[in-house]
Formats: sequence, C-alpha cells, structure tokens
Amino acid sequence: MNIKFSAAFAIVMYLVIPFTLGDNNYLIGLVASALIIAGIAVAWALLGNLGGMVSFGHAAFFGVGAYTSAVLTMDHGVPVFVALVMGGIGASISSIFMMPALRLRGPYFALAILAYAEIFKILAVEATSITGGAGGLLSIPTLPVFMGIDFGTKLGGYIVILNIVCLTLITYHFIRKSTYGLALKAMHDSEMATRIVGVPATYLKIVMLLVSAFMTGSIGAFNAHYINFLEPDYAFSGSWTIFPIVAAIFGGYRTLSGPVLGALFIYLVDQLVFKSVMPQGHQLILGAMLAGMIILSPSGLLPILTKFFAPKKNIKKAEGQHA
Amino acid sequence: MELTAQALFTGLLMGGFYGLIAVGLALVFGTMKVINLAHGELVLLAAYIAYALESQTGLNPMLSLPIAMAVVIVAALVTFYLTNQIKKDRELNSLILTFGLGIVLTNGLLMVFSADIYSTQSSWFMEGVVIADSLFSMRSEMIAFIVGIAALGGLYWWLNHTWHGRAIRSVSSNRDAAKLMGMNPTKAELWSWGVAGVLAALAGVMLYVTSVIHPPVGHSLTIKAFVITVLAGMGSIPGVLVGAIMIGVIEGLTTTYFQSSLAELASMTVFLLVLLVMPSGLFGKKGAH
Repeated sequence: MNIKFSAAFAIVMYLVIPFTLGDNNYLIGLVASALIIAGIAVAWALLGNLGGMVSFGHAAFFGVGAYTSAVLTMDHGVPVFVALVMGGIGASISSIFMMPALRLRGPYFALAILAYAEIFKILAVEATSITGGAGGLLSIPTLPVFMGIDFGTKLGGYIVILNIVCLTLITYHFIRKSTYGLALKAMHDSEMATRIVGVPATYLKIVMLLVSAFMTGSIGAFNAHYINFLEPDYAFSGSWTIFPIVAAIFGGYRTLSGPVLGALFIYLVDQLVFKSVMPQGHQLILGAMLAGMIILSPSGLLPILTKFFAPKKNIKKAEGQHA
Repeated sequence: MELTAQALFTGLLMGGFYGLIAVGLALVFGTMKVINLAHGELVLLAAYIAYALESQTGLNPMLSLPIAMAVVIVAALVTFYLTNQIKKDRELNSLILTFGLGIVLTNGLLMVFSADIYSTQSSWFMEGVVIADSLFSMRSEMIAFIVGIAALGGLYWWLNHTWHGRAIRSVSSNRDAAKLMGMNPTKAELWSWGVAGVLAALAGVMLYVTSVIHPPVGHSLTIKAFVITVLAGMGSIPGVLVGAIMIGVIEGLTTTYFQSSLAELASMTVFLLVLLVMPSGLFGKKGAH
C-alpha cells in the first residue's frame, strides 16, 4: 500500500464518510459492520500470507473475544475500552490451545482449526453459567463517553472500529517490514531451507497465530459492545469465517489493502444488493464468488486491476510484492 | 452394564453409518490429495432429494436412490472438474474452493427447501428392532448400518479386485509411477469422484430415513467425515470403518452417561488428541504426509 493510496483511504474513511453518511444511522452502521469484516479479513490474511496458514476457524477467536469482553464488563466492572484489549488477550489465550495443531502441515492445520472452532462453539453453549448459554447475554454495556465524545452512537462506533482496523493494518505493515517479515517470507518459499539457516519457524508461526487471534478477538469484543447482545450461535457463527475469507481472497490476501477493500465491497454489495434480491440464502453468491476467484485469480481481483490500469513499468513491482 | 451394552450397540450402528458418510471423502482424499469440504453438502443434497420424492409422491424414500445417485454424481463430477482447474498450490486452494462450493450448496438448499427441519413421514422406519432380547434400535438405524457395512465391503472388494479399483489404488500410492505404467491418473481420479458421489447418495438417503435434515447439517457432516478420515489415516478402508465405529461409540457413551449435546465435543477432543499424537492417523503409514 503506497503513501498516496493510504492518504486517500484515510481521507475517505475519516472525513468523507462521517460527514456524508454521519446522520444516517443505517448507512454508517452498515459501513461499520463492513469494517468489522475488514478487520477480521486483515487478521486472517496476516496468518495466511505471512504465516502460510489457512484458517477456517477465525469465528472461534471472534466469539472468545466477544464473550471475554462482555463478561469482564458486565460481571467485573472493567471499563469497556480496557475490555476490548482483554478480549484480544482472551482470544490469544484461546489460540494457545490450538498451538499443538501447528505441528500439522497445510490442509491438516486448516482442518484442525475448523475442529477447534466447533469445540469452542459447543463450550460456549454448554458453559451456561458464564455465557448465558443459548439464551444469550442481554444489555452488554455500550461504548462509553470518552474525552467528551460519545462513542455509544453509531457514528462513534464507526470511528472506534475504523481506528481498530487502522491499527491492525499498521501492525501488519510493520511486521511485514521487520526481519520477522523477511524470515516469514523466506519460510513461505521453503520452510525446510529456512529452518536449516536457523530461523525458528515454529516460534514465528506461534507469534503470527497469537497476533492474528488478538486482532480478531478485539474486533469480536468491539462488536459485542456495539450491538449489545451475544448468543453462541451468533458470536461463533460461520459467517465470521466465511465473510473474511471471501473478502481477503476477493481483494487479494497477499496485499495490505486487498482484504479491507474486498471486505467493504463484498459486505456492502451483499447487504444492499444480494440481500434485497434474495432474502434467504444470499450467501450462495459469496460461495460462488469464492469458488470463482480461486479458479480464475487466486491472488485476488486487485492485482488484475492494477495490472490492467498501471503503466507498464510498474507491473514488475506489483508482481514482486509477495508476502 | 445393560446401559453400557446398549450404548456400545448404538455406537456400533452409528459407526457403520458414519463410515458410509466418510468413505467418499477418504477415497477422493486418497487419490487426489484433495479434501472435499463440500462432501457433507453432497450427502445432504441426496437427503433432500429423498425428502422431495417422499413428500411429492408418498413413495418409500429409499426408492429415490437412482435419482439421488444421478444428481449427486453430476454434482461430484462438477466439483472434480472445478478442482482440476486450480493450477497453483492445489492442496490449499482446493480447500477454499470446496469450502465455497459447500456454501453454494447449503444456501441453494436453503432457498429451495427453506430452513425447516424435515424427517421421514413413514413410521415403518422408526419401529423398534430388538436383538438378543435387550439391545434396542430403530429399524432405520439397522438398515443404515447394514447398507454402510455392505457399501464399505463392496468398495474394499472393488478397490482390490477390479481394474478401475486397482488403477485408483496405484494412482493414490504413486501418481508418477502409475502414469509410467500406462495409467491415466485423471481417469482414475474421475472414477474416484464418481464412486464418491454414489457413496454420498447412499449416505444421504440413509441420513433422511434415520435422522432429521436441515441446511446446516451438511457442514457438520463434512466435519464428521474428515474427522473419521484423519483418524483412519490415508486411503485405508478398514481404517475408515474402525475410525467411524470409534466416533460412534464415543458419541453413544457420552450421550448415555453425560448428555447428547456433549457427544460432538467428546469426538472432536479424541480426534485432536489422535491427530497430535499420531499425525498420520491410526492406520496411516509413518511420514505419509
């Protein structure tokens, strides 16, 4: 993501959208929901691109983060903004239970994570004393007034999730630029060779899993305070896995901007167009898009567009942006 | 004691049926190293065809088998064709592809049949069967078990004693060598997907008569099928049966002594433990992956 693009993105998201849509609670809420998907998509892409791990279980991190934060604020009076961080930490802790799966390679890892996600969902339904079971948790505290600004409104929530997404993007950017990023990039090409020259591959993967889980968990926590309601089927819903994967694949999961733009596009089109055309089963189109993208262009729509529009000399540079 | 015997018996019956669900996935995984995350949805598709036939004509749902087979074979071959279009990194990209196809199938069924829960109208399937004076089961469970064992046995025989079966085995054990011996790997893969479709159709019709169906069931069936496949280790038919019975018995015991909602949790936990201790499964060769 170059500077010009980042600046344009920041101006649109921080100035244009609040001032044009700020009064319309429905639309600003819709963009905020799209940003929730965008954040998870970035976390998913971080694990997939840098860690080389495809996860079908990010719904677990999302749900654990949501419940951690909700329970801490409701039962233990923790301030909401602190609880958002705690939600991320909770999700990271839950990811520790998944660490043994890192021994497994490629598809086996993906499937083990899928199994873990199921386990967490069942636990959330069964642990009724903490989660309220299938009945759910009602009246979770909203985001508070902070420094004179009421973050409890739709617009306030939008600003908070936008900041969270920007923080995840910045973190991702710096990890990628660091020596860790270089080692991870090398691992992507040949894990064996990288191990031989002394890169602690497993340790790096663990860190990536922790970071990705933390990001997803804090976004889940945000969502809990944003909609003020939780139940296991919602918090651990497969949608929290499906949407981000479609978004990341669609936008191109090897780029920074891809997952965010993909999520904004996919979510808004899904809610505004597909949902009104077919009220039931509109995720069918998402599935078809995902399948189509994997066959036609596994690295996303964005790389094709850049190739199409960019002047010739930039093409090599764009292709070289691997990992 | 009687309770334990009953739990073991129910688990055994469920195991035969689970084996039928899982073996199609295991077969494709063996030949093509592709895990079809839409497998459970293919099974569910057959179940809905059985429902459609029964609700429209009032006939025995088992009679829907030819139609279900035709439709599911076509669906399986389309999946095969699409999977074959993937050029890069097929192991991982095929997961995402079939995951997407699963979403398409689930939502397609949701649109056509709504989110309602269906089960067979015929009470004949639900009548009790008693064996050895003390072991109870529903007639449909007995039928599903027998069909499952027969299908697994038939598949085992087919893989070992027919030309096409042997071709599949040779391609799954060493693709390049098989090619040098004059085998056409794509053809063998085509056969394995087709047979997987037949097995999925059988499993789907059995699913409809033994239990209830609604769209999300497909996803849980996929998870169950790969849990069993991984427990079994790659491409081992007897392994699939043992793994399936293991899962069935664990679920039976958990349901009897704790509660039915924990059954899935127990089988998942066992699956993860086995995966971590023996990454190549109970019957897989060491270092097979």
